[in-house]
Amino acid sequence: MRLIAKLDVKPPHVVKPVHFEGLRKMGMPADLARKYYAQGADEIFYIDIVASLYRREILFDGIEATAREIFVPFAVGGGVRSIEDMSRLFHSGADKVVINTHALQDDPGLIDKAARTFGAQSVVINVEAKRWDGWWECYSDCGRERSGKNVLDWVREAEQRGAGELLIQSVDHDGRQDGFDVELIRQVKNAVSIPVVAASGAGNLDHVVALAREARPDAIALASLLHYDKYDIAAVKQKLNDLELRSK
Amino acid sequence: MARRIGLIDYGSMGNIESIRRALSAAGGEVVIIRDAGGFAGVDKYVLPGVGAFHEAMDEIRRKGLEAPIRDAARSKPTLGICLGMQMLASVGHEYGETPGFDLIDGEVRRMQCKAAVPHIGFNRVQVIGDSPLFRGLGEEAEFYFMHSYEFVNYTDVCGLSTYGQHRFVSAVARGNLFGVQFHPEKSREHGIRLLKNFIEL
Repeated sequence: MRLIAKLDVKPPHVVKPVHFEGLRKMGMPADLARKYYAQGADEIFYIDIVASLYRREILFDGIEATAREIFVPFAVGGGVRSIEDMSRLFHSGADKVVINTHALQDDPGLIDKAARTFGAQSVVINVEAKRWDGWWECYSDCGRERSGKNVLDWVREAEQRGAGELLIQSVDHDGRQDGFDVELIRQVKNAVSIPVVAASGAGNLDHVVALAREARPDAIALASLLHYDKYDIAAVKQKLNDLELRSK
Repeated sequence: MARRIGLIDYGSMGNIESIRRALSAAGGEVVIIRDAGGFAGVDKYVLPGVGAFHEAMDEIRRKGLEAPIRDAARSKPTLGICLGMQMLASVGHEYGETPGFDLIDGEVRRMQCKAAVPHIGFNRVQVIGDSPLFRGLGEEAEFYFMHSYEFVNYTDVCGLSTYGQHRFVSAVARGNLFGVQFHPEKSREHGIRLLKNFIEL
């Protein structure tokens, strides 16, 4: 089970949205990426959380600076609308692109094109799930825009279109540090056969252990837990290793 | 020491920048090769690849790089990474059948195993034989994999890995030609060591 450090970026800073709103500055992405790399992160995710919302171009400078000194995979998303955007991201040091808004709200075919051009393994679909009574709805633009799409239908569609991986975030749990939406992750995991990265809600090691044990995601993305220096990645790894939850 | 490394950039789909940085960190002097005229004056070649087999081969053919790459790989030490390794094969089966460089026998097929595909994450490599590429890298060394397809080969295997109870070829070598399925540029200090081994061949 991979452990990923997730940087939510409102350029130029890494921020931590509480409930996807009320942003708190956490540091510069390049500094935090280097720190988490040194701690043993298996990957770094960099999500520009306002690019789609503001309908602006991707800002490549911060991405290049962040990629510079980390020799683990680097996935980048936020405001990705075209194959050209993705090419520029790869040339800026990204190894995977993360797509949400454009594919969800405007053009699901972007997933097919991306997978055909760059290979499925380079295409990560970011799902922002909002829990309703008995189902989850896909949101976009940092938890602001509804889509009407059922998360379980959308992840199956994304897989069919060629997505190589899913990042599952919870609008309800993100930034609250009160535990993951384990049921969401479990159901997504059952719905698809591509790797699932679970995010949103880690506040302590017990939350991580409960998620690993009950939902068996392929990877866990951590943000607040790391930003507030509650634990470092090595400690989380050690805990999962001790419980034999990390083995493939 | 032959440290000038020609990094072949054949189009939009390579993670060229990551590999360039890692080769530099490993002590290489990197020259980016973008056209047929760029192949002279370097000591070794690296053929990277993030992307889909047929798109990449199409791009290479469109740019007139197929023959220069084949000649390069026959003349000087060459390392194919991920898709760059797979393209050394005779044929690929990603989105239809596409001929590869046919420098190492075998074909590239979708992984069939009891775990989620793509295979993404750190994994060990069991080194077969005495490969200079893996010098100083014990069985505990882990490398980063990110792929849905595998190189099916029986003749030039120099590394094997296991994923989802499935054994697959994670490194090939034939003479001065090497290929690794994993991404050394994304494999921390072990990956840098492997690149250093290649640079110092």
